[in-house]
Amino acid sequence: MRRAKASTGTALPDRLGLSKHSFWHTLWQQRQLAFMSVPMLLYIFLFNYFPLWGWITAFMDYKPVLPLLENKWVGLENFKWLFSRPEFLGAVRNTFAMAAINLVFGFVFPILLALFLNEIRRTRFKRTVQTVTYLPHFLSWVIVVGIAQTMLSSTGAINQLLVSTGIVSRPVFFLGEGRYFWWLVGFIHIWKECGWNSIIYLAAMTAIDPGQYEAAEMDGAGRFKKMWYISLPGIRSTFMVLLIMNIGYLMEAGFEIQYLMGQNVVMDWSQTIDIFALKYGINRGQYSRAIAAGIFKSIVSIALMTSANFAAKRLGEDTLL
Amino acid sequence: MKKTLLRLVLPLMLAVMMLPALPLSVVAEEALTVTVFVGEPRDQPTSDNKVFKMIEEEFGLKFEFEFLAGDLNETLGVKIAGQDYADLMDGGNYAEKLIEAGAFINLMDYISEEETPNIYQHVEPYLKRLLNEDGELFIIPNYGRYYNTEDYPMNYVNGPAFFLQKKVLAWDNYPMIKTMDEYFDLIERYVAANPTNEQGQPNEGFAILCEDWRAFCLFNPVQHLMGRPNDGDVIVDIDDNYKTEAYCIQDYAKHYYQKLNEMFHKGLISQDTFVMNYDQYLAKISSGTVVGMFDQYWNLQNGNDALRAAEMFDSTYQGLPLIYTPEQAGKEVEEHYLNGTVINVNRGFGISVNAEHPERLVQFMEKMLSDEWQKMIWWGIEGEDYYMEDGRFLRTYEQIQDAANMVWRNKNSAYVLTNSMAKKQGEMDDGNKWDPMVQPECYFLQMNDYDKAFLEAYGMQRPLDFFNDPIELAPYGEAWQIDVTVDQDANDAKLGYQDVQRKMLPQVIMAAPEEFDAKWDEYVAAAEAVPVSDFVDFMQESILELVEQVTGN
Repeated sequence: MRRAKASTGTALPDRLGLSKHSFWHTLWQQRQLAFMSVPMLLYIFLFNYFPLWGWITAFMDYKPVLPLLENKWVGLENFKWLFSRPEFLGAVRNTFAMAAINLVFGFVFPILLALFLNEIRRTRFKRTVQTVTYLPHFLSWVIVVGIAQTMLSSTGAINQLLVSTGIVSRPVFFLGEGRYFWWLVGFIHIWKECGWNSIIYLAAMTAIDPGQYEAAEMDGAGRFKKMWYISLPGIRSTFMVLLIMNIGYLMEAGFEIQYLMGQNVVMDWSQTIDIFALKYGINRGQYSRAIAAGIFKSIVSIALMTSANFAAKRLGEDTLL
Repeated sequence: MKKTLLRLVLPLMLAVMMLPALPLSVVAEEALTVTVFVGEPRDQPTSDNKVFKMIEEEFGLKFEFEFLAGDLNETLGVKIAGQDYADLMDGGNYAEKLIEAGAFINLMDYISEEETPNIYQHVEPYLKRLLNEDGELFIIPNYGRYYNTEDYPMNYVNGPAFFLQKKVLAWDNYPMIKTMDEYFDLIERYVAANPTNEQGQPNEGFAILCEDWRAFCLFNPVQHLMGRPNDGDVIVDIDDNYKTEAYCIQDYAKHYYQKLNEMFHKGLISQDTFVMNYDQYLAKISSGTVVGMFDQYWNLQNGNDALRAAEMFDSTYQGLPLIYTPEQAGKEVEEHYLNGTVINVNRGFGISVNAEHPERLVQFMEKMLSDEWQKMIWWGIEGEDYYMEDGRFLRTYEQIQDAANMVWRNKNSAYVLTNSMAKKQGEMDDGNKWDPMVQPECYFLQMNDYDKAFLEAYGMQRPLDFFNDPIELAPYGEAWQIDVTVDQDANDAKLGYQDVQRKMLPQVIMAAPEEFDAKWDEYVAAAEAVPVSDFVDFMQESILELVEQVTGN
């Protein structure tokens, strides 16, 4: 460093009289690195921040035919309208309910699967199970919903099983009864994503020092004790990081599955904020109201994310932010 | 040395760079490429399509098509948000959205008796109905302008009816089914005697399509049972100063849904019918297991055609115009499924604000509306697609089959374009029909033997003969044509009302019989809470305005 300085003469920050610990000084020192990050910053600015300019239409009575700034300003009118609509409040409720079910299921089932797989000693069997369980992840939602609809129809396999074993007398109307909808979404998510999500826990478990298991065995710990006292604490930090990330995505209860499977009969239970925004924005041309719904969703997401991060900090865990 | 090389290479390089630019500029002078959006899923015409070739030679226009993939409403929403319009746009059932968003130019700036005599003559009698409040016209209707005739324009009914498989009527020895009760009674007896069809699949008594805008299969029957043609979501009392109401929440509507409730509990309506989509519906119809349904023929036509293609002629459908009994309706009802011919307001091509040469496009439409080109559009090329005998336009059986074949059409017809353009319907000046399938000689030539025998058993000639003659078109046209999007509250109320119907009518139909009344009241209360009156009041006002505009009082 000293030699470089000597050969190039006085460095720019010194000539500008900046102190050695100032931001600009550090920036100058890391100028090559900073330069390399410029394209990424530009990308994020252009495609993630710049479009937020369009948010101002949430405070307008926006008509696409007029130039943006010639639209009428209406203040918070669109937000007031949103919160006076039972339909929107229902959408918020549905979003939270399905997201919460997905969140809980999305941790419980993959971790269970990973724990069980971790106990299997035959590698070939383990690999096969792993592959079979994560393959549905690669199916598109259209196909998954198609399969689900066929399985769940009144003549589908599940109803035939239920009727033939005498559990129910008439086929259950899975797809047309609102109260089943949230749980169906939860279970279909599990069917599709459980195997895929378990991979990361399985990877975390393989990083646990086998010596710990051996020591526990010496102390007389059985399989379940080992799971409880070694495997689970071993994936604790992975779990926390994923939890914080997933809480940030809590408002993303999913769009495609509700869109594809939510028939009119179950609308009161299936409509999420995203579908509400699509319906009002793109279908009915009420762009301002749709954007207002989107803004509400973003703000709640950010709030959730920061509070989860804060909570994790208090619990003495690694944080993301 | 270096310099000479450079001198040699440089012009060469320049020449190479210029090359791609050269032919382009030549082509640009020859043919203008017109972008077209059609709000329906279709196939691209082949590059050697003979009609498009003739159009290119005569008008110097080439067409680049974008057909619908996915949901029309969403596709248009995205186009509007991005102001991304093709030169010619057919917005189908959501064209009002494009008009509202200012996507089209006002055609009245280009239409005059001198400049565009054909178009002028075409729209002139309907201008009162076609122009908006500001005297603007955005779309020249694709269908519904009839020349020289008052008849119903087809030999079969293309619109609403209660449909029934022909074999069911044959099974019961060809009865005349007039009322809703007779219809459902026959279905019940038939399914009891024939639980499965010939292929051994279980028969389904009555299907109801409830998906998206096609849920009219669920909403619309009541107005027809009450003896009115299709006015969309409202029923209009012509004799009582055009009194307008939402029929689906009236007491007389209850009889219909109560009947469906009964049928549901008898197992004649499957619960799956409330969650199926359009493709599943067509698949079901094509399998020949659906005994009956309420629908409009064009909506189920693909299914019916599939049955015909599979030569399951006895499973194809006959439309029946059913009505309520006087007790149910509270008055004597006369059957009026058919309306007088109605101009298809706001359906067809508009020229978008992005089009660079609107005047050329208007002139193109003008020339295409000449008799010479209309013959080409409807009948094709003489000697190839039709022949003349004693002044009659005729087709051989093969020519008829060809014209109905999609693959043939992509190569030999400009259907994808002309379907959205203004057309002449009815009769030519010499008495031939414009539409080959309306020309009686052609219609009877293509009819299959089963259908002939079926109609003969009824002593009829055409499927149309089951229906009463069309009534005179009301001065306001058909109420479903009224553009509700101009009033946001009314539009919200209309869509909210439809949501309530889609959501709660299935629940009403599936309710336990003893809970039916309570469920019905809940449904009516939900519709009133929308409030549906915002929509009805708007319709009432618009109808009265239109009547005043057209009749002058």
